[in-house]
Amino acid sequence: MGNAIEIRGVTKTFGPKTAVRNLDLDIPEGCVCGFIGPNGAGKTTTIRMIMAIIFPDRGDLTVLGRPSAVESKDRIGYLPEERGVYRKMKVGSFLNYMGKLKGMDSGPLDKTVREWLARVGLADTYRKKCEELSKGMQQKVQFIAAVIHKPDLIILDEPFSGLDPVNRKLLRELIDEQRGEGRTLIFSTHAMFEAEQLCDRLFMIHKGNKVLDNTLEDVWARYDPSLLDVEPAMPLAHVDVTPLRSIPGVMNVVVGARSIELKLQSVDRAQAAMTQVAQTIAVRRLELRRPSLEDIFIQLVGGNEAALRGEKEEGGD
Amino acid sequence: MFKTFHVALREFIATVGTKGFIIGVILPPVLMGVVLTIMPLLLREAAPKVEGHVAIIDRSGQATESFQKYMAPDAVRGEMRDQLGRDGGPLVDSKQAEQGMKMAENMVLGSAQVSVRVLPPDADDAAERAQILTGEGKPESPDQRLALVVIPKESVTPAEGENPAELQILHQPKLAVQWVGIIQNAARRAVVDARLAANGLDAAKIRGLMAAPRTDTKSVTEKGDVKTSEALKMLLPGAFMFLLWIAVFTSGQYLLTSTIEEKSSRVMEVILSAVSPMQVLVGKILGQAAVGLLLLGFYAGAGLIGLSAFNRMSLIDPLNLLYLGIYFIIAFGSIACLFAAIGSAVSDVREAQSLLGPLMIVLVIPMMLWFPIIQNPNSVFAQVCSFIPPISPFIMVLRISGTEPVPFWQIPATIALGMVMVVVFAWAAAKIFRIGILMYGKPPNFITLVKWIRMA
Repeated sequence: MGNAIEIRGVTKTFGPKTAVRNLDLDIPEGCVCGFIGPNGAGKTTTIRMIMAIIFPDRGDLTVLGRPSAVESKDRIGYLPEERGVYRKMKVGSFLNYMGKLKGMDSGPLDKTVREWLARVGLADTYRKKCEELSKGMQQKVQFIAAVIHKPDLIILDEPFSGLDPVNRKLLRELIDEQRGEGRTLIFSTHAMFEAEQLCDRLFMIHKGNKVLDNTLEDVWARYDPSLLDVEPAMPLAHVDVTPLRSIPGVMNVVVGARSIELKLQSVDRAQAAMTQVAQTIAVRRLELRRPSLEDIFIQLVGGNEAALRGEKEEGGD
Repeated sequence: MFKTFHVALREFIATVGTKGFIIGVILPPVLMGVVLTIMPLLLREAAPKVEGHVAIIDRSGQATESFQKYMAPDAVRGEMRDQLGRDGGPLVDSKQAEQGMKMAENMVLGSAQVSVRVLPPDADDAAERAQILTGEGKPESPDQRLALVVIPKESVTPAEGENPAELQILHQPKLAVQWVGIIQNAARRAVVDARLAANGLDAAKIRGLMAAPRTDTKSVTEKGDVKTSEALKMLLPGAFMFLLWIAVFTSGQYLLTSTIEEKSSRVMEVILSAVSPMQVLVGKILGQAAVGLLLLGFYAGAGLIGLSAFNRMSLIDPLNLLYLGIYFIIAFGSIACLFAAIGSAVSDVREAQSLLGPLMIVLVIPMMLWFPIIQNPNSVFAQVCSFIPPISPFIMVLRISGTEPVPFWQIPATIALGMVMVVVFAWAAAKIFRIGILMYGKPPNFITLVKWIRMA
């Protein structure tokens, strides 16, 4: 399978600020790729360059095999971060209009619009003006506008922001469905839970630099904290942690508020260490901690956060 | 191409389909037309009934006869015609004039029955005056006293070295103002006649000699002689330019506000995911150009209907209408580019005002130059103005529809200049549009806009 998107040495500056610096990125066809990064990291700039809404100062982009997204706009669905609707336009007319702009035939278009509205639970809004819809409803309408023409590549910029848990779930299902149909999906998000649930690949940008570009499995392996989380059966105050320190493979023991953290030399030592912990003290819970994306995220941008707090910069990975 | 068309179509429908457009733009001329059609009918219906008598106390004893003569229905009618013919003569042709006069006569004379009652010269003013009051509010009858005219002896034969005495006219408050005028006129003329007679002159003969002759003024054209109307000749070029101005600015304003709305409601980036900024810009400009042409056609059509109703179509050269269309496209093309660029650069209408200010000052210039240019359409000043880019189409429309023929080479020259201007403006606008449309935050100033043009 080829790449849906190839970015080579792309740099974009806005005045004195470099939004994206010398970026290389490949996104294989058919994968779901999450763009993560703190606010102002360069995610939206990268997406806008992919969409050929703005153009890089240096470097090359290939989108769906073409040198510019302009040539394949009808094959791309895009939900921008700054999204809106024509407030006075009726929902049905708006979606029909968007479909026509995406090059769809006007014949079957209206039927597709009605089907989509029904699917997201907005069938009765066809004749309503967009301004009568709540923000979450508008977002669903905008999502329909992005995918109605069955694009090969779908780019969603912050699709989960402003949605309630029920609609987040609905959107996750819709994204999953698009993946099932073999489409390439890119979405930028701050919602780490959704990223973990949906992504095959992760791309992280920080201050315009790529800091992470890998499959989710590799990321997990790379950032595995090798931590054993031990919750003793008795109150923590009564536990003697000294025997735990002498278990082979354990580098460090930290007593927390509810549990004890055992830092291992490597994940390979986990099985043996777990058996020994269970033999040493009575445990309520014993868990080999999986790295959460949130932890990785904070670890990667942590240096910056620390600098902001005026602390000594420890530096991320 | 199709996408541009869809953008244009949406822009057109979104503008024309609003209540605001129908109420603000289409309704006023329609209402005016309706009022102009219905008014005469209403007036004909509503001619007030006037019945009663005008009493005269002629202390000179010499003016009564003339007064009676001038108050006779035929004399009143004749005098009215004379006056209307003098005041409104050049503006309307004979057919319309006849109709207008009939209407005016109807309004004033209608079913009026006004007689003159001659009181003895020594009648008591106060007692007779009281009779006006007693008639008030009673049903009409010949006994109603509508007015009392008192002609003092000194008004006909003033004392040596003194001015003639004033005539006194007392009337019911509700008496129509036209009738008060008729009575005043009749009394004045009667006194003048009496003075002439007292000096042994023939009043009728002198009036005949003094009457200023009517004129029949025509301009000579290839199609024959056409009635001249100076007023229309002056107004017409102004009307043409104003029409152009209104059409350009109304649709330009719509373009500005719709661009700002698309930007501030953040729908723009959604649109840009499907079409390029250039397609949006061109589509929007074409859509609003259609709105402008609709306005132009609508108002120009209304104007032509008006002119044909008054048989004044000859004043309009069909070629001028063609030029109006061409110069509209040039004027709108360039101004729309500027408006779209400004609309894309700002986030709300308030921010747009500061950028629009200087532009508006430039564009009001043709309005201010209207009078000097129609007075002398081929002056050096007018010719120079015709070649100053943003105001050129307005000045040319003014000159072309004026009385003096414009040197022919200037028409293609200014059209070519206009085309170049549109291309340059479109180029600059496209650059500003592409950057501005996704730029939020601090509104840019002119220097920033120039930077954007250089940057993109």
